[in-house]
Amino acid sequence: MTAFANRRLRVLLAKLGMDTHTIGVTVIAHALRDAGFEVIFTGLKQTAEMVANTAVQEDVDVVGVSSLSAAHMKHLPKLAEFLRQKGAGDKLLIAGGVVPLEDIPQLERAGVQKIFTMGTETKTIVDYLQTWWAAKLAAEQSGG
Amino acid sequence: MSQTAAGIAAGVLAREIGAGARLIRWLEESDPRGRDALALIYPHTGRAHLIGITGPPGAGKSTLTNALISEQRKRGRRVGVIAIDPSSPFSGGAVLGDRVRMQTHALDTDVFIRSMGTRGQLGGLSRATFDAILVQDAMGYDVVIVETVGVGQDELDIVSLAHSTVIVSVPGLGDEVQAIKAGLLEAGDLFVVNKADREGADALTRQLELMLHLREQTRPHAWKPPLMHTTALTGQGVAALTDALDEHLATLKASGAFTQCLIARNRHMFDSLLRDLAAQHILAAASAQPATAALIHAMQAGQIDPYSAATQLVACMSLQFP
Repeated sequence: MTAFANRRLRVLLAKLGMDTHTIGVTVIAHALRDAGFEVIFTGLKQTAEMVANTAVQEDVDVVGVSSLSAAHMKHLPKLAEFLRQKGAGDKLLIAGGVVPLEDIPQLERAGVQKIFTMGTETKTIVDYLQTWWAAKLAAEQSGG
Repeated sequence: MSQTAAGIAAGVLAREIGAGARLIRWLEESDPRGRDALALIYPHTGRAHLIGITGPPGAGKSTLTNALISEQRKRGRRVGVIAIDPSSPFSGGAVLGDRVRMQTHALDTDVFIRSMGTRGQLGGLSRATFDAILVQDAMGYDVVIVETVGVGQDELDIVSLAHSTVIVSVPGLGDEVQAIKAGLLEAGDLFVVNKADREGADALTRQLELMLHLREQTRPHAWKPPLMHTTALTGQGVAALTDALDEHLATLKASGAFTQCLIARNRHMFDSLLRDLAAQHILAAASAQPATAALIHAMQAGQIDPYSAATQLVACMSLQFP
């Protein structure tokens, strides 16, 4: 366990394009902080490339996008592509907000690994990340 | 990206931001690879102009940092930034939002911004920060700016051990000078009244002038700290502030204080590491010592006070203390 003692999950939360609805992302940021994660917020009106650069500079484990402006099909695949281009394809890319169910398969194929749709409890997101983080630490430990 | 100490160190020296970010993470999390990589890059450090920026919450430190990045970039310099925000003492988590004000530079490959939480590490914050500074220094950033809320001794250490310490204040916080912690006034090399277009800026200026005058009376310095006015949001006054920073740097270099500053920072890190290592050894020795459990038990039963218990345990371990 001691090998994990100083490890702390780092999450980048981002808002892409002209989507300026911040309440959702603020609620998520606080829930993740209360779960003991380090949250970095990009602020509003980011391009996919800006978010990818920030993810590299901050060496986060997770990139989470809040999307409430129906532009997810435009921005999310582009962000996944930029992350791969910049050698950050190993980061967990997740999204939440107003995303119709029928869009999810295509987003998943593009590299978005999990999408939380409208009405998701914050606890569900925290649990998902905690499980993912525990698995990542265990894999690191056994992989050396 | 290579995940070995040698691979990451090579990446840092090749100025790859991903490698630098990974090394900072290792150092922050006490990964043993971090120490090994640091040893490899260390010979390439000692060149960057380290600027510490502090002041009360809401003074506009992040916005001012953003404006300073723009001005330094105009002068052709590459800029590293370490932005520190407090971690929650309850969960250990944090929301780090300083860089929200600096995202105009997100596409500039000559700017590397890294956010850090204070993480409640005993004495470890200044060390983790100085480690991060070393990494950015080795990556050839001409200027490294550390931005922190000036609360707590660790943060004071960080900014006061910078080459140039900038104290930012702002009108309208009530008792303006109260917001400048004791120690910071002594540590400041440059004083800035930000949001200088706001009401109350003149009153704040007069109070600061008085305090700086008193400081000069008690402890005369070779460098007389200038009092500058900025409106960081518009960039007003930021070129003049950068001129003053350049002048301060030239003064430090001319007097040899530039190197002295590095020596002081190294000494601080050495002492802090030594304390940690010594504490680790003593705590490990104490838990292996049979007397420990008995002493703790006696203390819980109210038969012995903590001072005597600790002293007796140390005597049992036959360590020599004055």
